[in-house]
Amino acid sequence: MNIVVCVKQVPDTATERKLKSSDSTLDREAVDGLMNELDEYAVEEALRIKEAHGGEVTILTMGPSTAADTIRKALSMGADKAVHLSDDALHGSDSLQTSFAIQQVLGRTGFDLVILGSESTDARTGVLAAMLAERLGVSQVTLANKVEIDGSTIRIQRQTDYGFDRVEASLPAVVSVVEKINEPRYPSFKGIMAAKKKPVDAPSLADLGIDAAQVGLAGSATTVVDFAEAPPRAKGQIVTDEGDGGSKIADFLASKKFV
Amino acid sequence: MSFIESGERLALRAAVAELGAKYGSSYYLEKARNGGKTDELWAEAGRLGYLGVNVPEEYGGGGGGIGDLAAVCEELAAAGCPLLLMVVSPAICATIIARSGTEAQKKHWLPGFADGSVKMAFAITEPDAGSNSHRITTTARRDGDGWLLSGQKTFISGVDEADAVLFVSRTEDQKGTLRPSLFIVPTDAEGFTWTPIEMEIVSPEKQFICHLDDVRLPYDALVGDEDGGLLQLFAGLNPERIMATAMGAGIGRLALAKAVAYAKERQVFKVPIGAHQGVAHPLAEAKVELELARLMGQKAAWLYDSGDDLGAAEAANMAKYAAAEAAIHAVDQAIQTHGGNGLTSEYGVGMLAGVVRLMRIAPVSREMILNFVAQHSLGLPKSY
Ligand SMILES: Cc1cc2nc3c(=O)[nH]c(=O)nc-3n(C[C@H](O)[C@H](O)[C@H](O)COP(=O)(O)OP(=O)(O)OC[C@H]3O[C@@H](n4cnc5c(N)ncnc54)[C@H](O)[C@@H]3O)c2cc1C
Ligand SMILES: Cc1cc2nc3c(=O)[nH]c(=O)nc-3n(C[C@H](O)[C@H](O)[C@H](O)COP(=O)(O)OP(=O)(O)OC[C@H]3O[C@@H](n4cnc5c(N)ncnc54)[C@H](O)[C@@H]3O)c2cc1C
Repeated sequence: MNIVVCVKQVPDTATERKLKSSDSTLDREAVDGLMNELDEYAVEEALRIKEAHGGEVTILTMGPSTAADTIRKALSMGADKAVHLSDDALHGSDSLQTSFAIQQVLGRTGFDLVILGSESTDARTGVLAAMLAERLGVSQVTLANKVEIDGSTIRIQRQTDYGFDRVEASLPAVVSVVEKINEPRYPSFKGIMAAKKKPVDAPSLADLGIDAAQVGLAGSATTVVDFAEAPPRAKGQIVTDEGDGGSKIADFLASKKFV
Repeated sequence: MSFIESGERLALRAAVAELGAKYGSSYYLEKARNGGKTDELWAEAGRLGYLGVNVPEEYGGGGGGIGDLAAVCEELAAAGCPLLLMVVSPAICATIIARSGTEAQKKHWLPGFADGSVKMAFAITEPDAGSNSHRITTTARRDGDGWLLSGQKTFISGVDEADAVLFVSRTEDQKGTLRPSLFIVPTDAEGFTWTPIEMEIVSPEKQFICHLDDVRLPYDALVGDEDGGLLQLFAGLNPERIMATAMGAGIGRLALAKAVAYAKERQVFKVPIGAHQGVAHPLAEAKVELELARLMGQKAAWLYDSGDDLGAAEAANMAKYAAAEAAIHAVDQAIQTHGGNGLTSEYGVGMLAGVVRLMRIAPVSREMILNFVAQHSLGLPKSY
């Protein structure tokens, strides 16, 4: 089975993230990049499917040259090869264009199954799997907390607020995963050493037949018009327990619509 | 020439740091305070090949060097889990067996070191021969086609959790200057008993006095030559010092990270205490000292891995000295930064004092390193 995992490099959520005032895009230089957390689960699921059914796992990343670290990590977990799409013209691409560019890469790799995280921690649109399936004209099975492959059929449990739905589709398909699906492995030492020798294909936009004007900030359908810093955290409220601490806390939570 | 570690080394550090974070200080302290062992972490690190990075590939290891193993040790320590037995089992024992063992010994032991399923303790220190290993009296007598081993060792770490112990001894016809012979003794061998020593260090690994009373060993319990000289022993002792450096640097980083986090949050006058130079500068000094020690440790590992045992000996001694001093300063300043909380159990800083203080004594004391540097690096007369 030809499995492609879409992996995004995102800024470390533990550090302070900033938008650039020049073009309202994320300042990716200022902070350490690492693999989008959910994409670790996507890679793990791909490896498990490969281990059970055979095949090959390809990592697909669109991102700046520093994203090579994230690709290396996915390869050290056990993926076989990678495609790194990197071109300054892609900077500032919105979801529509990102899905377009990824579609073009998938035209090059071919696929039976494309696995994504259900959401990134930086842009958090959560729409890429759907857009990609639409563009590719294949089934989308999203928010999977369990995946089963049976011949050319994929069955998932789709996580919902109240439990889960069982969804079935035929391959080829696009699936997005949530963190309940598995526990991602740590790269082994042998995996780390082997990663260096694994092939990373770096096609140019021209190789993919993409015109630079179709992507990037200029070609985006959506624009970030304005942004403001999040207001500093308001001072916490201390509840002293005078026998009624419990109900005071409940009142507070209710006032914030948490309960 | 590069002073920066390779991409693979950095990726290894990142992976080990992630594993370490999953366990963390709380796991380690819980085990240490309740008499537990860090078995789960050891097993998982072993399965991932982290404990066997330095074991040759043909025996199932990672085929890397002591620099890789030191990176693993440092990152686990920095995550709050200093694994003392890493200094002994994969660093000393696996190295000695890989370098001086017979093919049969390598086949028997190395795959277990590679995945961490084997633990081997190392015993050189004796009650009357601490810093002076030339005085060791543990003796092997020939007996038919095997050996009888007798003697006493002290301060031996991890005997209770080890499969075997590598004993440094001498053969009966050897007198005077030590030409060590090394024997692997399974912990269930008849005539081998051990008793724990009460220690004031909070650690899951315990120290023991070992008694060998005519322990019968097969001929192939001997590793290397009967009186192979000090070189085969030093093959294992340079890695020991490099690992001690890594552990010191890791614990120093842990203490410093805790101190910095606390200094940013804690406010008693108008600003966080970290804004007071009286707090900030000693922490900055600790950072400088730790980085210098790490760099020297990496140099020692690089020399060792490129086959320069002699060059590695000087660097490893200097690195071990520097790391112990840096770690002691870092922990001391971390305690000071935490004020009263520095000595509470909750913050887990105070307990590090005993752990790093040990590093000025073992595996080789500060004074013995200064003796080495004075004599070998400076050419001063031998003082003892
Ligand atoms: C502050 C900010 C505001 C933005 N506003 C908009 C906006 O209003 N409209 C808009 O269309 N875009 C916007 N973007 C751009 C957005 O970053 C891109 O559209 C992004 O590349 C895809 O969206 P996502 O990360 O939200 O994907 P999601 O759908 O959240 O991510 C799901 C999965 O898609 C895969 N994936 C995502 N990106 C990549 C990639 N580059 N390479 C490989 N796999 C990937 C991963 O598997 C990921 O887990 C904004 C970005 C930022 C930082
Ligand atoms: C927690 C712990 C774990 C240990 N684990 C092991 C283990 O697994 N295996 C093992 O074999 N050993 C182990 N040891 C023993 C350790 O290696 C010794 O304690 C160390 O080598 C010092 O020896 P000693 O205790 O006999 O001190 P001594 O040799 O008695 O020295 C006492 C003091 O005198 C100083 N001194 C001695 N000679 C000189 C000199 N010529 N010039 C200047 N100063 C001198 C020393 O520096 C020291 O400060 C461990 C020790 C500890 C505390």
